[in-house]
Amino acid sequence: MTPTLVFDGVWKRFRRGGAHDSLRDLVPAAFRRLIGREPAPKADNRHFWALRDLSFQVAPGDVLGIIGGNGAGKSTTLKILNRIMEPTAGVVKTSGKIGALIETSAGFHQDLTGRQNVFLQGAIMGMRKAEVERKFDEIVDFSGIADFIDTPVKRYSSGMNARLGFSIAASLEPEILIIDEVLSVGDAAFQRKAFARIKAMATAGAPVVLVSHQLERIAELCNKAILLEAGSVRASGRPIDCINEYLHGKAPAAPTQDELAGIRFDSVTAPDGSTLLSGDELTIIVQGTADLETPPSTWMPACRIIDVRTGNDVYAVTGFQRDIPLPVRGEFKYRLTFEMNVAPGAYDVSVFIWDSVLLTRPIVGPPIRVSILERHPFYGVAQLKTRWEAPKTGVPEMASIEADAERWRIA
Amino acid sequence: MTVSVANGTPEPIAFVRQRHSVVSIVRELWDARDLVTQFVQRDLTIRYTQAVMGLAWALLMPLLLIGAGMMFRIVLATLSNTSLSAVSVASLAAKSLPWAFFSAALSAATMSIIGHSSLIGKVYFAREALPLATILSQSPDLAIGLVILTVVFPFVGVSLSWAALWIVIMMILLLIFTVGCALLLSCANLFYRDVKYIVQITLNFGVFATPVFFEPQMLGPKGAEFILALPLSPFIQAMDVAMVHGHNLLTSATVVTAKGPVVVWAPWMLGYAAGSAILLLTVGLLVFRRASTRFAEMA
Repeated sequence: MTPTLVFDGVWKRFRRGGAHDSLRDLVPAAFRRLIGREPAPKADNRHFWALRDLSFQVAPGDVLGIIGGNGAGKSTTLKILNRIMEPTAGVVKTSGKIGALIETSAGFHQDLTGRQNVFLQGAIMGMRKAEVERKFDEIVDFSGIADFIDTPVKRYSSGMNARLGFSIAASLEPEILIIDEVLSVGDAAFQRKAFARIKAMATAGAPVVLVSHQLERIAELCNKAILLEAGSVRASGRPIDCINEYLHGKAPAAPTQDELAGIRFDSVTAPDGSTLLSGDELTIIVQGTADLETPPSTWMPACRIIDVRTGNDVYAVTGFQRDIPLPVRGEFKYRLTFEMNVAPGAYDVSVFIWDSVLLTRPIVGPPIRVSILERHPFYGVAQLKTRWEAPKTGVPEMASIEADAERWRIA
Repeated sequence: MTVSVANGTPEPIAFVRQRHSVVSIVRELWDARDLVTQFVQRDLTIRYTQAVMGLAWALLMPLLLIGAGMMFRIVLATLSNTSLSAVSVASLAAKSLPWAFFSAALSAATMSIIGHSSLIGKVYFAREALPLATILSQSPDLAIGLVILTVVFPFVGVSLSWAALWIVIMMILLLIFTVGCALLLSCANLFYRDVKYIVQITLNFGVFATPVFFEPQMLGPKGAEFILALPLSPFIQAMDVAMVHGHNLLTSATVVTAKGPVVVWAPWMLGYAAGSAILLLTVGLLVFRRASTRFAEMA
């Protein structure tokens, strides 16, 4: 099918600070330049390219996921696609009405009621008044806040705000759909409902472009993906390939280790592979050398696991709790095994020396990145060992539960 | 020709930019008329339901302006040992309305883009809707003022003639003129944040650069010629000539003073008003549209 959305050699240049944005600065500077007292600022250093020769196409029925780190150019791409910004060079072709699920309550006015805001936000998103009137009941129904629809939105919780905004955007019937990180709106029940709606919209046949840091969502929704890095496409094709490239392609930079500190981590490896299913065991081997004159009594070997998406520690442990001594002299080697009961995603495993008094990490080894894939779907950040029991036949009397243990099947 | 940038990738050569004509912009704005209506409705709802004074709010600015003008005229009358006639008070009131509108609408509209910067960075819509709606939401004040004058004038001895209908045309032209100014100033204020101060100062003192507080004939024949050639004068002067004195704007109006006859209205002023309004709107629309592609980067 002919693509209805084409990016062809798109470039976008931004200006770094340092420019005049008041006449008070501009006028004297222009005058100084005019009389030759100050050279014109060089253009080179004041600009940077957010997108470099970006090309992709999306045909009807395609759902394209865009992934990449912060500053890779995802938002800029969406903004150009959504006509909020103009490319510095290149061609962008779109045909049809563009609907965007981005910051869906951006146009709300706090002093207006929910009802008034539905009409205002609907108009901002390009809906005619008659169209909003026709869909009004559906929008309010979906948001689940019918009781508060005539209350000013300043009295809404942030969740209600977001739910109403999402419901308005979800009633759009766009010919091209753009979705940016709206997958985490409201509570868990609303999120499931919203995700089902997005899935329905995305599979309705219109071309879709989706940006999300929830990589498993990209894998689930998209049939194509591109991986952006520094404004260019680093990989494109199947979502799962792009996700793997994103998670493993770039090893995290090794921090410099102070030679004088007396302990050096030489290598950190995962001999059984660094891609595993949630719940599997991860083994890492740490090798290093130590040459400590007077080993500080407050130091201990330690290791932590960081969620790449959030930057938060998922788990940290020191050798002290396990009677693992601080290496003092010569080569040393540890093996650590974790049961990775964590949500799917990318994690950095980082070994370091912990100072338990100063609460610092005087020595940090090279981190190793692992990616966890989904085994059984679950919500949340950790997979807890669960035993789920149900009666073999019928519902037993409460009193007989203890006694009739043999009538229970263990899952 | 290619130029190397930092990482060695060649710089692009082709720069593609969408062309806009006044017709295409106006058509897009027409398609966005429901959006403009919603913005106006929002502004009016907030202004009239929030302010305790309600309707009085619409009259406050013109009344203050009339009060200031009265002070000015009483001082002048006292100095020249004459009395202030009811007709000149009526004409002061009539001339204050378009100025109060222009001043309030322009200062609000100058802030309209920067006041919506977060929205501009997130959603695409015809950005012209913002200054346009801000100005439209000020126009009920002008309309209410005109209605009140129409009702009150017969009681103070000013009888209205059919010529007063010229005011409708002149006020529509003033609206267009104001929209043109607002388009230019609202985007200038986004790029240069101190434009709002310059606008405020100009509006504060600009009242003396238009014949609001005084009458052109007070300046003598040469002075009147000069003051009438200033851009806002036709809109102000038409209130006095057509509404208070019932003069047809298609013919000249002359006042005989001690220094000889002074022209206080000439037919070319009609063309001047229409021409400047249309020209400002055209330039405003084109410049605004051209600049609006960079709004999201500035906001």
